[in-house]
Amino acid sequence: MKQILKRLAGWGTAGLLVLGLAAISQTATAQSSVYKGKKVIFEPISMGLTLTEAWARGMQRQADLLGFSFEIRDGGFDIKAMSQIFAKAINDKPAVIVINNPTVQLLSRQIRQAEKAGIGVLQINLQSNQISTAFVGANWTLIGTQIAEDIVKQCGQGSGRSGKVAIIPGQLTAADSIVMNDAAFAIFKKHPEIKVVSNQASNWEPEKARQITATVLQQNPDLCAIFGHWGVHTIGAGNAVKDAGKSDDVTVYATGGGNRLICNAIENGIIDRYWSYNADGQGRDLGTMVRLMLQGAKAPEGAMMTVDSPLIVIKRATYSPSQCWDM
Amino acid sequence: MPGATYDLLRGLLVTKHALEYIVLAIAFAFIILFSIFIDGFATLGNLSNMARNSAALVVLSCGMAVVIIARGLDLSQIAVMVAVSSVFGLLLSNGSGYGTALGAAFVLAIALGIFNGWLIAFIEIPALLSTLATAMLIAGFGRWGILRGEYLVLLPKDLPVMMFLSTGNVLLLPVSVILAALVLVATAVLLDRTILGQAIHAMGDNYMAARLTGFSVRIAIIWTYIFSALTATVAGLIISSASGTVDFRIVTNGTLLFEVIMVVVLGGVPLRGGLGGVINVIIGVLLISVLRNGMTLMNLSSQVQDLVKGLVLISAIVIDNYFNPRDTETDTQGDL
Repeated sequence: MKQILKRLAGWGTAGLLVLGLAAISQTATAQSSVYKGKKVIFEPISMGLTLTEAWARGMQRQADLLGFSFEIRDGGFDIKAMSQIFAKAINDKPAVIVINNPTVQLLSRQIRQAEKAGIGVLQINLQSNQISTAFVGANWTLIGTQIAEDIVKQCGQGSGRSGKVAIIPGQLTAADSIVMNDAAFAIFKKHPEIKVVSNQASNWEPEKARQITATVLQQNPDLCAIFGHWGVHTIGAGNAVKDAGKSDDVTVYATGGGNRLICNAIENGIIDRYWSYNADGQGRDLGTMVRLMLQGAKAPEGAMMTVDSPLIVIKRATYSPSQCWDM
Repeated sequence: MPGATYDLLRGLLVTKHALEYIVLAIAFAFIILFSIFIDGFATLGNLSNMARNSAALVVLSCGMAVVIIARGLDLSQIAVMVAVSSVFGLLLSNGSGYGTALGAAFVLAIALGIFNGWLIAFIEIPALLSTLATAMLIAGFGRWGILRGEYLVLLPKDLPVMMFLSTGNVLLLPVSVILAALVLVATAVLLDRTILGQAIHAMGDNYMAARLTGFSVRIAIIWTYIFSALTATVAGLIISSASGTVDFRIVTNGTLLFEVIMVVVLGGVPLRGGLGGVINVIIGVLLISVLRNGMTLMNLSSQVQDLVKGLVLISAIVIDNYFNPRDTETDTQGDL
């Protein structure tokens, strides 16, 4: 009797397993039918940067897993080309366009045009004037505020330091630069002892940032902090500080995707404090957001689905190699 | 304008060197203005900083001036600079000796210079087109073949050779400034004391006449592009050791190439060639460096800085054209 019961239990379990597997397979088929034949176009400012490569990798993984098509159309740091590429992408009628808009205005009209044509637009990191279906990226207001508050602690009242700060944005019209500067100046306004002695864009170039820093240091030998809006060009500024023998006097702040290159710069004393939005994690978030958009997810009318990237603050004093990531 | 002053000005400026005098006068006017109104401009420290920041521009402009005097144009100069610097930096990062890295950099530069010169002298492709094409070729190959798609090389700044190039001093002078001075001397010797220099001036003045006179014009063309590539190598060493990076984006996005051409033209080397020397480079660099430094100290945005530089360039050329209008002698074919 026991044996019969055991056999029945075995058959029952096997049957349940078969039914379960069939159900899973049906769900998977239903899911894949949601994505099949759909196209996602990614237009970065330029490939070849760890930031954009990490984003592309995150979305490509989802495309491979779910079967939608994923195309990269490289802007190659060419603003005119970016507008043409976006126009061509709208004509191709994909389900989603993922855009890394270099300025707040550049592609605003075209983003609206794409949304009107029923194409979901996902903006990454740099948000334009125009709202769209979704945004994944760093919270620049938070970063600007946190860095400014840290600068006040380092250079403000009671610190015994000059309170002089140099800001080096990438481009004054870039969304991140505008938002971070607004946030930082809002904090500095409450602290009159903080004096911004320079606010000049480097065009994202390390050498230009180095030249600006060398000149500003000459005029303000008691400079207290440098707030570089992007880690890559801030490497040039940090090297100017190091070459002037002022690494212990000037605190160099930067932000970015937090790849190994930046950790090397922190290790070598070129950058002191770094707000990382972890580009690798952003790649995963982008993949998830694309997946949701292909399923038809939408925010209420007039709003965007938004994912703010969690921040990791890397400081020279407490730095650990595990805080950065590799491609 | 009172008649006597106008006549004096006209007497000074109606000359083929008018642009040099005008630019020099503008540069001194800015120096006086900045010294009065900008705190920290007229100091020894700022002068040293200006000299350091201008060293690479001087070196690149020497190479470009030689090419332009021979009635050529090298739009690939910045691409050569970043390609050669990245090879130098990567070899150092991989543990190669300084000699090997430097040797490889200079050999690559010479090869690229020969390739440019060969395209122009033997295949007879106009310099503007051939060097534009080689710039794209070098930048594309550099990113694909050397950097595997990346844009940026981070250099080992702590190596003694890098420290020496970026912060070293010899006889109280920064190494970068000494390198710029050496390149100026080499350019002066090349243009004024050698047969190649005579050929370069003759080719710029009248290419066919130079050929009929017996100069080896094709070989001379190749030499001018080799010289340009060598100056690009020296400038690359100065820039990359200072910033600790080699950035391929400056080939397609940067303004350095335009600054180099502006220095040469503002200094008084006509784009049709035939005229000029190191004094023109010095005058051009003086104006651009003073402007750049003063405007940075004034905390002007990069857009305003570009606007001012453009206005100065146009003003200088308009004044020159007013006092020296084109005639049948100066309206030479090939003047861009």
